[in-house]
Amino acid sequence: MPTEPIRNDVRLLRFLAQDMTQAELGQRVGLTRQTIAAIEQGRYSPSLDVAFRIADVFGKRIDEVFHWRRDGEAATDAKAPAGS
Amino acid sequence: MSSLEKRAWLTLWSMLPPYVVYFALQAFYPQLTAGFLDAFLVLGATATVHAIAYIAGFVVIRHRERGEPLQEDERDRAIDGRATRAAYFMLLTGMIVVGMVMPFTRSGWDVVNAALLVIVLGETLRHVLIVVGYRRPRLAY
Repeated sequence: MPTEPIRNDVRLLRFLAQDMTQAELGQRVGLTRQTIAAIEQGRYSPSLDVAFRIADVFGKRIDEVFHWRRDGEAATDAKAPAGS
Repeated sequence: MSSLEKRAWLTLWSMLPPYVVYFALQAFYPQLTAGFLDAFLVLGATATVHAIAYIAGFVVIRHRERGEPLQEDERDRAIDGRATRAAYFMLLTGMIVVGMVMPFTRSGWDVVNAALLVIVLGETLRHVLIVVGYRRPRLAY
């Protein structure tokens, strides 16, 4: 089981999207404002379906919004070589 | 605070005080509820206080929630599901004891009170786990 939460840039992307409110984002992806706040704070990892919807709202790919690292992996994200 | 968490707090605050008093009376002053009618009246009063407190709190919560477009989502359902599962197993275990063991050793109000205690404990566990689920997410999913 991963001990590190899935990190995300939802807060930043909301800011860049004309400071979209948590309630507005929640309404567009089918979540409550409280759950959007929990996602931003890393207290809740959304389902894959919702993660795709959030990325779609900002016109991004899912891996541009949500980031996950193996335990103990360095802070700088290392891309795995293609085909590995 | 999410709608489900508010309702969990409401259930705990409306249910625990009257039933703690009720079970304290049963434990320490059994003579007050010795007769069938007395016991029935005390239980009725307890249930009435619980119902009034819950309904009043629910009306206030609904009034304050006006304008909230969505009441529940996948996170709420996940927290509720886990809490309900744990409470179900507690209720099941308690009901096995009350329904299959106690009738051989006890009767009457003892069985009724034991069943009521199991229900109150089950509900308490469920709503405590819901509240904990929102505050300690590692324990919730």
